[in-house]
Amino acid sequence: MNETISKVINNTIKKTIKSSQRILSVKAQEQGYVITFDAMASPCEVLMQTNDLALAKLVGRAVSDEVWRIEDKFSRYNKNSVCYQINHSSGQNIAIDEECYLLLNFAEQCYQLSDGLFDISAGILNQVWHFDGSANIASAKQVASVLPLVGWENISYQPNSITLPQGMALDFGGIGKEYAVDRSILLAKQITKLPVLVNLGGDLAVTGPRLNGLPWQVAIESIEGTKLNNDNNKDDKDTIIALYQGALATSGDSKRFLVKDGRRYSHVLNALTGWPIEQAPKSITTLAPQCIQAGMLATLALLQGEGAEQFLTEQEVTYWSRR
Amino acid sequence: MIYPDNKNSKQHSQSNQHSQLKKANVKMALSMAAGALLGTGVMVNDAKAEVLKDWQFDSAFLFYSEGERVTAAEVIVSGNKTFANDEILNLKLTIDSLTGASANGAVVQAQAQTFTRPSGEGQYVTPAGETPLDDTFKDTRVQLNAQWTQPLAENYTGSIGGHFSKEFDYLSLGVNGNLAVDFYKKNSTISLGLSHFQDTFTPMGGIPKPYASMPIGDSNSASWDEDLAKTRIGSSDKKVTSDVLLGFTQVINRRMITQFNYSYSMVRGYLTDPFKIVSVLDQQGTAQDYIYENRPNERNKQSTFAQAKYHFDQNLLNSVLDISYRYMWDDWQIKSHTLDSTLYMPLSSRFGKQSYLQPHIRYYQQSAAKFYRPYTFAEQENKTTPDENYISADYRIGAMDAVTLGVKYGFSLNNGNDFSVRLEYYRQMPNNAGFDEPSELSSLTVYPVVQAVIFQLSYSFL
Repeated sequence: MNETISKVINNTIKKTIKSSQRILSVKAQEQGYVITFDAMASPCEVLMQTNDLALAKLVGRAVSDEVWRIEDKFSRYNKNSVCYQINHSSGQNIAIDEECYLLLNFAEQCYQLSDGLFDISAGILNQVWHFDGSANIASAKQVASVLPLVGWENISYQPNSITLPQGMALDFGGIGKEYAVDRSILLAKQITKLPVLVNLGGDLAVTGPRLNGLPWQVAIESIEGTKLNNDNNKDDKDTIIALYQGALATSGDSKRFLVKDGRRYSHVLNALTGWPIEQAPKSITTLAPQCIQAGMLATLALLQGEGAEQFLTEQEVTYWSRR
Repeated sequence: MIYPDNKNSKQHSQSNQHSQLKKANVKMALSMAAGALLGTGVMVNDAKAEVLKDWQFDSAFLFYSEGERVTAAEVIVSGNKTFANDEILNLKLTIDSLTGASANGAVVQAQAQTFTRPSGEGQYVTPAGETPLDDTFKDTRVQLNAQWTQPLAENYTGSIGGHFSKEFDYLSLGVNGNLAVDFYKKNSTISLGLSHFQDTFTPMGGIPKPYASMPIGDSNSASWDEDLAKTRIGSSDKKVTSDVLLGFTQVINRRMITQFNYSYSMVRGYLTDPFKIVSVLDQQGTAQDYIYENRPNERNKQSTFAQAKYHFDQNLLNSVLDISYRYMWDDWQIKSHTLDSTLYMPLSSRFGKQSYLQPHIRYYQQSAAKFYRPYTFAEQENKTTPDENYISADYRIGAMDAVTLGVKYGFSLNNGNDFSVRLEYYRQMPNNAGFDEPSELSSLTVYPVVQAVIFQLSYSFL
């Protein structure tokens, strides 16, 4: 396979990877360089079509610094992060900066577009749901005990402050990685006109096509036991996508689900009911001009459950789904 | 305290309403939200990706039946391999098998007619009032095409190909080359194509002598082989075809694309159909003789073609209308008009399976070649010299109208695999281009309608 192929790694989020070391590694490729690093619990890479090693390092450093900055600022676990401070504000008004405000604004619009199904205050539901492939679904009582702590409508925020009711928590996990991809692309474009691809654990974007208008080749890795929706049984190989322009984001994870009485519960939770979405595809990969659009389209589609593909078709979105 | 069930049921009624309202604009709203977040403008359509077709296969089975006439079955398997730098290799295998009866050119009579088979071995009899059909028509053709396409430089794409086709009595070899140049940000493409074919025809029973009378007699008699040999001028002959195609494609906007072609085709060599004869009638219209047809040994054909595809928006169900028109003319004085149209109508999708319905309508009109005669008259034939005069009663180069009506149903899966079924009805209506009809033929069908049914199954997979 061509060296420029960027493997999209399924983000099996290993909690065991503690804040991994912040190291960049640079490797020469047939037509450029690849810079790899770890961030946001995922393997990350920057591909660049150039012979200029110094330039490649410059772009790699700018991108990794930006990704780590966003991780530090919006991580739930980092005690110095804005997110941690908000979540531990005990109902007090907390000062926020413009970037945080813009992200909250984006989250609010997603909340409204999804009629409340997507809610960045829903992370707390993971206290009762453990998607380990077992049949241990949460009890109605358990769900009812945490559900009152979910609800974007109870949060008030202004351009420079936020008030989060006691007990509630925000989780930027659903948008942070895609946001970091888009920020990285903007930075890379400021530095160079040469083609760059930024891949953060499978969510990726390009600054444009490769030289001579050729596409980047991106593999959507096949997940064991799933197949791309094609009725073609022999097909368990990766699907190679030629990406000319824009971003690809994948939502869903075959390893994080529950099965009980033959029903499959996806790890995607309906923020209104606190229950998993049923009959959703195992994963959806979407194409959009920017990664945060692609990621949100994939997430909104999963939230439609059985109607995921129909939703994307109606929205005239290019996508690949696995069931 | 809010109970999950309460909340759930409330949500359901709400979301159904809302999703109806918001159906059309989620993508746009997200683009605007992302633009505000990232400080970029609103980016809606700045994305392009496709599944890289490693090996993509198209397969099709086609069945064509003219009822009591020709029946054809065809299998096509085509493979496309895309390489790392956008080089594409296409290999295509076509096998078709034809059986049945085809019109031999002789005109219908009020009495039974007897003809010699093209091989010279044996005879067949056409009942009174029926169009004479030669029922020995049977052939299997194997065709192989290979095409290599690659970018030559930015905006330049080159392609070369080879063609091999073999039938029992026919061999065709061909090469082609094509150059396409994109400009105006790839919204316009000019292409130039050249092709060259060399065909060898070795018909059963040899090449008949033009204007010679078809010998009709006992093929077991002692003198038969000698009589037959007198009407033959060889065992095989050749034909050379050279084509030039000039094309222009223009993207008008996001929804519309147009294409214009001009082609010039030169054919040299043996263009006569060795199996076709012409009835020689007396004044009343009774066949006195059957002579072998004769066509010019060159033909220069030109055609112009215009096509427009329009992709409608949601108000018209995202359907795609395809309309094309072709005008063809040649120095045999055949002129033809073809109007073709399909409407691709997506149906609702489920689990990523997108289905569609595609009606098809085609209208074709053709004028007769200058040497076409449905029959000739005895006294007329005595005056002609074969070297200067050509004659054919093959209805396929006579005046006609034809209509095709069809529908295709298909469903494509979101990764590009595609299955379709096509059913079409074809009706060919030859007509009299102003030839006098002798009294004996007036109650007979000189220009019979040909009807055919076409059924096709196609499957494309990665």
